[in-house]
Amino acid sequence: MKTWLKVLAVIFLVYAVVASLMFPLAPGGLTVDIEKITPGENNFTFTGYNTHFKNDSLQVFVASGNTYFCCTVLEVIDDSRVRVSAALPDTLPSNDIGFYANTPVDGTVYVQKPIGSKEFTFIEGAKPMSACEVKVANDEHREFGYPFQIIIFETIRNLMWHVPMWFTMFVLMGISFAQSIRVLAKSGREDSLDASISFKTIAMFDLKAATAANTGLLFCVLGLITGSIWARFTWGDWWTNDPQLNGAMVVFLMYMAYFILRNSVNDEEKRTRLAAIFNIFAFILMVVLLMVMPRFAEGLHPGKSGNPAFSSYDLDSSLRMVFYPAVIGYILLGWWLYSIHLRIKKLEWRDEK
Amino acid sequence: MRYFCRMSAFKALWKKELMLEIRQKHALAGVAMYVLATVFVCYLSLEQIESVQVWGGLVWITGLFTAFNAMQKTFQQEGGGTQLYLYSLASPRAVMLAKATYNALLVAVLNVVSLLFFLLFFGDSVFAKADFYQLFLGLFLGSTGLGITLTFIAGLAYKSGAGVGLVAILGFPVIIPLLITIVRFTIGALLGVTFLNNGLHLLVLLILNGASLLLSLLLFPYLWRE
Repeated sequence: MKTWLKVLAVIFLVYAVVASLMFPLAPGGLTVDIEKITPGENNFTFTGYNTHFKNDSLQVFVASGNTYFCCTVLEVIDDSRVRVSAALPDTLPSNDIGFYANTPVDGTVYVQKPIGSKEFTFIEGAKPMSACEVKVANDEHREFGYPFQIIIFETIRNLMWHVPMWFTMFVLMGISFAQSIRVLAKSGREDSLDASISFKTIAMFDLKAATAANTGLLFCVLGLITGSIWARFTWGDWWTNDPQLNGAMVVFLMYMAYFILRNSVNDEEKRTRLAAIFNIFAFILMVVLLMVMPRFAEGLHPGKSGNPAFSSYDLDSSLRMVFYPAVIGYILLGWWLYSIHLRIKKLEWRDEK
Repeated sequence: MRYFCRMSAFKALWKKELMLEIRQKHALAGVAMYVLATVFVCYLSLEQIESVQVWGGLVWITGLFTAFNAMQKTFQQEGGGTQLYLYSLASPRAVMLAKATYNALLVAVLNVVSLLFFLLFFGDSVFAKADFYQLFLGLFLGSTGLGITLTFIAGLAYKSGAGVGLVAILGFPVIIPLLITIVRFTIGALLGVTFLNNGLHLLVLLILNGASLLLSLLLFPYLWRE
């Protein structure tokens, strides 16, 4: 591996690790401590996350559809909690109730809470007298931050760890697949045995294939671990029945089987050939398993029904800024590990001869 | 067809497989007994199955192990001498294609037998809403997929010379995608899901079957070489 690629890998990885852990989350609305709204006065506390409520131009309002009702700020407890009072009329235009807070620093943050109340009359298009015109200074948050999403919260940082592992695994398995094809291409079919090619060439291809698969398996395990931790915090379980999770497990088993096959054949020429055959078979099935099957199945991963991974909606510019360098960094790291591993294997191979 | 092998070779190899099966009836009888015993053990441990999911899962687990059992003999029963003879006579693709199609049909027949045993022990209460066309289409495609993939894996394990145990080790990971899909499809068919909604699983099944048949035909010549 070229030195400048190693330098690039280190720079990207350090950037990805530091940036994924250091940057704060964008402000967002966490909860409101009100179970039921009633006509007249409603007092509640609006709790935000990473917000700056200690601001003179803080505005809190309740929305019913597209109509807003301004709240009177009773007390700003701290930067993330504010106690307000909302005066609501008897008739509301929509039962779609939302709670909003706005400061020039945070932009608008909101809490959507299903609050059903039978005490209101809902008339579509109604224009209550107490509705207020909302004028905000700044709609978007001013400081850099990762998108705030309910359920995911701070774990969104894992995107820069978990996803690059799978990208790297695919690249390494791809290298392994290509090397296995070279093994078969050189070792020849039964009817075209080519004696001019020395066995050492073929053995080197096989060594590359096995080493790449080995390093790829490491990233598969890392991907499973990071994914499992993420699943625990967002979906509630260490393992969930999701096509991608099951697929990843199958990939792990496939490559374990590949190594078992490789180690159980004593004849060296036969070993290279059989391992290559199984590797090609396994790789194609892996592509079907991880790229095709999740498109047809229900699952928990983002961008389901049509897209096996994330969709463009899930990645905003702040995530892209760190995510893409992280992917490149981890792929380079994978390649680096692979080349070191290969060097050791080659020395071992030479030692045996 | 013409591209992969000569028709005459294919027919002769099929005939050979069939003759071998008839001459070694005990092998097939052993597999059939295995099916019966498995279903009977299922019956003893569960007595009745009300859940469609459990039924679908059990039928295909039985199908999987039956296929494993039936495929293990496919290369083992013909000794090294026969294989050398075949090697000198027919193209490897003809051997693979004949074996794969023969075994696909064999597994399909065995799975129909296993289905009959399930019917005998557990009754037909799970079929209340079933779509039989889909059920049998699934049974056929799932069995052929099992047959094709495991024939290839059995060849690989046989050539490695590491014994029969390797078929299971190599076979399980590569068969799981097929198994997940076919179990989902069967459950859908039992629940009476319309063909339009269940058909996606069928598409995946066809892709998997096609991929394993194509891959085995492409890779078998490299395997067949001694």
